[in-house]
Amino acid sequence: MNTSTHPVAPEEVMAFLDNELSVTDAQAVSSHLEDCAECKSLAEEFRRTSQSLASWNIPGVPARLENLLMNRVAEIDSGFKGGKRGVFTRANSWSWKRWAIASGTTVAALLMVMAISVPNLLRSHLTRDEMEQFSQRQGYDRDSRGIEADGPPIANSRSIAVATALVPMIARTVSVSIVVKDLATSRSSLDIILARHHGYSAQLTVSTPQNAPQSLQASLRIPVSELPSAVADLKTLGRVENESQSGEEVTQQHTDLVARLKNARDTEQQLRTILQERTGKVAEVLQVEEEIARVRGDIESMEAEQKTLEHRVDFGTVELQITEEYKAQLYPPSASVSTRILNALVVGYRNGSETLLGLFVFVAEYGPTLLICLVIFALPVIFVWRRYRRMMNSL
Amino acid sequence: MNVGLNNADDELFRRYKQPLFGFFRRLVPDPDQGEELAQETFLALIRASSRYEPRALFRTYLYAIGFKILRAHRRKAAFRATFLGGEVGLREPASQNTTEAELCLRQAVGKLERIDREILLLREFELLTYADIAELLSLPVNTVRSRLFRARIALRHILSAPHLKPFAAKLAESEGHS
Repeated sequence: MNTSTHPVAPEEVMAFLDNELSVTDAQAVSSHLEDCAECKSLAEEFRRTSQSLASWNIPGVPARLENLLMNRVAEIDSGFKGGKRGVFTRANSWSWKRWAIASGTTVAALLMVMAISVPNLLRSHLTRDEMEQFSQRQGYDRDSRGIEADGPPIANSRSIAVATALVPMIARTVSVSIVVKDLATSRSSLDIILARHHGYSAQLTVSTPQNAPQSLQASLRIPVSELPSAVADLKTLGRVENESQSGEEVTQQHTDLVARLKNARDTEQQLRTILQERTGKVAEVLQVEEEIARVRGDIESMEAEQKTLEHRVDFGTVELQITEEYKAQLYPPSASVSTRILNALVVGYRNGSETLLGLFVFVAEYGPTLLICLVIFALPVIFVWRRYRRMMNSL
Repeated sequence: MNVGLNNADDELFRRYKQPLFGFFRRLVPDPDQGEELAQETFLALIRASSRYEPRALFRTYLYAIGFKILRAHRRKAAFRATFLGGEVGLREPASQNTTEAELCLRQAVGKLERIDREILLLREFELLTYADIAELLSLPVNTVRSRLFRARIALRHILSAPHLKPFAAKLAESEGHS
């Protein structure tokens, strides 16, 4: 049965029986059904199917369903949110148990945070004097322990360490980014500020690119006593965009260095005494002299290191970046329109070919690995997905 | 229809409890689950009654809620069965309160594709129009019509299968009496 031999489609016959056709179409199908035995038979089949289905009766609603529903509605109305959760139960319908668990968890979390943060907060509120007193007290304690300890070298080094630990040695670093209107003027002002505060420039770079703002980067060394006022003067050069200060404590490093230096000097002195007072073979004398030379080298190296360290403490470092406000300039077009279009086409072609090449390289490089991963992971995913679909369809 | 009132809820339940119960009993093999889903649908309806806007037939609105709950139930059941093992949907309906006709028709309808089955049941038992079914299932009306046609033809073939012939004869007999 098809529309080439029948003026109406089988679906239209079905729609006619379901009263889903317009009046005109319904009249056309009705008159066709009177004349066409085949379509009449089809319509009869549809009727029979519907009648067969109509015998699928469902027993009445059990009374317990009504009672359960009424109970749950009553629970909702009375504001009692306990019991079994429905599909559309809202998140605010927490039972007292959930509230108790949530409150307990919150209190425990707060207590933990307080236990961690309170000692830190108290420590940060100690004044500088209190800290110094504390460190001095610690120093005296260590000093007394050092004197009681056996062996002079260890005791000496500890005493020195304690003595130097009383004054904290801090290498200060300040970073400042400033935006100025005129870089040349600021450069002159920078020199004046450096001279005023007895500082010097350890490193200075000026860059003046085209179509971009000029900038100056400098690493300044300023006596630590003058550092705050020098930084304040530098800030007057323009608008401060960024400022950060840091201090690296090198007390322990310096203490260790001084102790090692003292020990090396003592060793050198002892070696010189041996050389002067003892006699021996030439080889032994040469050996002692070699040892003295080695110790002397170590001493000089450590002295240089000590000077550098002390210099870092005595002179604060200012990492300065000065950027000039960008002033756009009108330039005549560098090339004709046709040239620019041609260049754009060439660049476009090059970019396109490079992209294709990159894609090919990527596929060649990672394709096999990706394929293996895909095979490994796709199989279980397909299996699970098919099982899930089968389960869904079976429901 | 003002469904925000308590007496209106009672009226709703009285009027639609049997169609909705039948809807779930026919779509879900397990009668207990069908009852539970019907209950959840009424509860959701009562909760959402304040947000109801009469843009469509109330029956369509009700079955839309029912389908949402049914799909959620299917997803959960399928997920559980997929990842926790076991089979779903294969459980035979309880023998109590189940007639021979129900068993045979359920078996025959169960052989249809899921969407075809839903369209057929919505049309035959809930008497929804093609347009309402299309809106409910988010399908074009023409698709609904062609799937319904396919489902009816397939069902006629299934019912004429040898193992269902005795049942078909009984049905024919009852049809003759009527």
